[in-house]
Amino acid sequence: MLFAHLSDIHLGFQKHEALQKIEQTVFEKALDECISRKVDFILIPGDLFHVNIPEMRVQKFAFAKFRQVHEAGIPVYVVYGSHDSSPVSNSVIDLLVAIGYISKVTKVKDSEDGKIVLDFLVDPKTGAKICGFSGLKVGKDREYYEKLDRDSLEVESGFKIFLFHGGISDMKTEAGIERDHMPLSLLPKNFDYYAGGHMHKWNHQSFDGYSNVVYPGTPFAGFHSDLEENSKGQKRGFVLVEFEDKIKDVSFVELENTSYEIIEIDANNRKADSINKELLEKTQGIDPVNKVVIIKIDGEMTSGKTSDVDISGIRESLYQREASAVEISKNRLTSLEYRITEAKGENKAEIETNVFSENIGQLQFKAKNLIGDLGVALAKKLLSELGQPALENEKKADYASRIRQDALGVLGLKLDDS
Amino acid sequence: MDEFSIAGQVVGGKFGDIIIRQKSGNDLEIGDLMVSEENGSFLILQVFSLEYGSQIQDRMQQMMSGVNLEQGSDAQFYEPEFVNYVLARIKPLARVYNENCEVKIPKSLPSFFNKLRLITKDDLKFLQKEKDSIFVGYIRSGSKVIKEAEVWLPAEDVFSHHVLIPATTGRGKSNLVKTILWHVLDSNKVGALVLDAHDEYFGRIGVGLKDHPRAKDNLVYYTPSNPPVGANRLTINLQSIRPEHFEGIVDFSDAQFQAIRTYHWKSKDGWLTTLMLTDPDSATDQIAASTMSVIQRKMRLILGLTKDEEGHLVSKHEVFDSATKGFTTVDDIVQDIEQGKVVILDTSRLGDEAELIVGNIIASKLFEKYKAYKAVGELARKPVVTVIIEEAPRVIGVDVLTRNNDNIYATIAKEGRKFKVGLMAITQLSSVIPRTILANMNTKIILGNEMKQEREAIIASASQDLSEDDRNIASLDKGEAIISSIFVPFAMPVKIPLFEDIVKEKGSKVRPEKTKVF
Repeated sequence: MLFAHLSDIHLGFQKHEALQKIEQTVFEKALDECISRKVDFILIPGDLFHVNIPEMRVQKFAFAKFRQVHEAGIPVYVVYGSHDSSPVSNSVIDLLVAIGYISKVTKVKDSEDGKIVLDFLVDPKTGAKICGFSGLKVGKDREYYEKLDRDSLEVESGFKIFLFHGGISDMKTEAGIERDHMPLSLLPKNFDYYAGGHMHKWNHQSFDGYSNVVYPGTPFAGFHSDLEENSKGQKRGFVLVEFEDKIKDVSFVELENTSYEIIEIDANNRKADSINKELLEKTQGIDPVNKVVIIKIDGEMTSGKTSDVDISGIRESLYQREASAVEISKNRLTSLEYRITEAKGENKAEIETNVFSENIGQLQFKAKNLIGDLGVALAKKLLSELGQPALENEKKADYASRIRQDALGVLGLKLDDS
Repeated sequence: MDEFSIAGQVVGGKFGDIIIRQKSGNDLEIGDLMVSEENGSFLILQVFSLEYGSQIQDRMQQMMSGVNLEQGSDAQFYEPEFVNYVLARIKPLARVYNENCEVKIPKSLPSFFNKLRLITKDDLKFLQKEKDSIFVGYIRSGSKVIKEAEVWLPAEDVFSHHVLIPATTGRGKSNLVKTILWHVLDSNKVGALVLDAHDEYFGRIGVGLKDHPRAKDNLVYYTPSNPPVGANRLTINLQSIRPEHFEGIVDFSDAQFQAIRTYHWKSKDGWLTTLMLTDPDSATDQIAASTMSVIQRKMRLILGLTKDEEGHLVSKHEVFDSATKGFTTVDDIVQDIEQGKVVILDTSRLGDEAELIVGNIIASKLFEKYKAYKAVGELARKPVVTVIIEEAPRVIGVDVLTRNNDNIYATIAKEGRKFKVGLMAITQLSSVIPRTILANMNTKIILGNEMKQEREAIIASASQDLSEDDRNIASLDKGEAIISSIFVPFAMPVKIPLFEDIVKEKGSKVRPEKTKVF
């Protein structure tokens, strides 16, 4: 018997058309592989979609592919991930569940008296017993595990699979990953397979009481950093598991996605001119045709603004040379001259005030309302306006226009003031 | 002062050794706190010695006793409370000014013939809980506990200036540490690394720090095997270990250390695995086979490493991993401590040296980071950190520090204060800790100790003059302590509450409620 384990597909994450195509192709290729290999069922423990309601384009191809899988007689078992969950069953996942293409495995028998008692979903063909929890944002699902009645799950006999969506600290391979992690001890013991989602790299380990804890990782990319990893040779794909009454084999199926070029610039102790020069030289030295080009600039410049690094010109030239997509990462580029000093506070408003107050001294403007306490008040107001969410049913373009107008209003400007 | 509350009267003596006559009906104890009300202020004094006094000559008393014992009679003194009495020797601890509750070191005697009473809660109003302070116990007068007078110490100052807890076995040191950590858990103002050699703080079995209402947010527990629900597995990848982590802890000869450094330089992160799996006869850089064999044997013993049948390096107690696990454990722990959490490492399965190396790896990283924060001006935003180490002479004892180079614990003891990193050293043997380090430990919470040499070492390095407290320290019962610190106005006698009682009173209560699962 055979099952497939995919996760963190993040359909709808890509904004660039070329990357959207790759995202779709990889997803379809993965499920085609499952069909052609005649798996008995597919597990997707979360973040199938990047948001709970992705755009129609994404829904369309996802539904079409899941229909194919359904028609091939392959059940798909899922839990929500931290990106596509909805507390009121208002996710496209629920639509797929409603029409019977996929099944959510979380079946709560009882959740009174501070305990959560889970029931197993039994796969009709293989008899595999499956249960699990969805992943919630900022690790709020931890409460589920703390209240879980694990005894009833641990004593159950048969071939058991637990689906979960969350980082396991025992399996972290890199420091500095700030995503929420929980200790493995929160999961119930004695399952044959732990199908994990949330960690974006393939990882398979076993521990005392926890055999086969597996993350297949994202098949393409769910974060910008995933593309960077891809460009450095990170393998992407899904997991195939052969089993009888126990696991026989766990293997990783690699899926090719696209070709990459990566340009990394160390901006430490340099000025924009020198960075721009290196950027130009390095981009000229690559062949970008039909490739995703990743440009990563890190470090602290000695002077000037980070915006002095000419990204748009480079991007333009790479597109002219037929790069399929250009992704630029300069989140960790700072300047000694314009360094944002962190500040603490008891709450969000206080932190905002303190950060602005700490940093506004760096600015030198003639307009009095842009500096000092007035500047802090203005910055807070502007931040508040920019943070307004979209209204229900509001179109993206309308939302952008409204926010732009409001922000300009706060600054006392009109569109044609420039 | 009303007549009923009078306990004695000043009848003589000198500064630091005042003699009072005990009023009949009272029962003064060693350690009792007394008050002498003066004009605009009052003195707090403490009994340090008790003896009999009598108006009748010794020979006369002995004869009367002979009459009673040998002739079976019941001879009594006429008005015995006048002729026979108790004399107490007391010393002034503090002068408190009534107007502003200001506390100063006393520099004068109480008025001669002044009547004294026992201290009450109203006299201790100056003991106010400051923001971000840590509860240690209640003021104790002799064996009487004044529950209304709580002793709180300023957390940042006390922890960064190091704490010494000298105590012999069974005097309540783990109860004290648990009590302190319980209050540390109340907020995120103090981060703590606890090397728990007896796995007694978390409360894996029975009550423990896990029962604190904020334990879920502020307490992190690492244990090598079978972690309880929500706890972490203590696995440290061998790549986290660097040669300097052995310094001051393990006795390697110069040649052996040189070989270790060579392997580290050549094999980088994987040096320890490479070193352990190399055949001694084919060691690099002409390292002698005998040197390699000794290093490998020592490492095997210290870290519990063995080679399995497939040639992989495995750790007997599962704490060290040479393959895929434990890459981020050290960083995760340091990050938690930096966020003001209490991190308990269950090191009960490790040998002495392995425990200290684990602590060394983490404390070194923490110390490096805090030094870096100071360099970039971010230290003020970081919580103060304390590293709690039991049997402290293992790392800061005279013989260790003279035999080896300084280890991280000694470095923290000497210079950690500047970087908001302190040591909480627990020991039975203060006398083997160098005076330079003892003098740096600015808070000492002294529990009972029957060893004279140890008491002398503690008294000699105390922040207040405890020269008359030798017997007092010897007679401290379980849970009784004296706090000597630069952050308290006088050496404070305290009673540390029973940890179980704190948990019963303040521990988290499970509230059954429905959880919405989606």
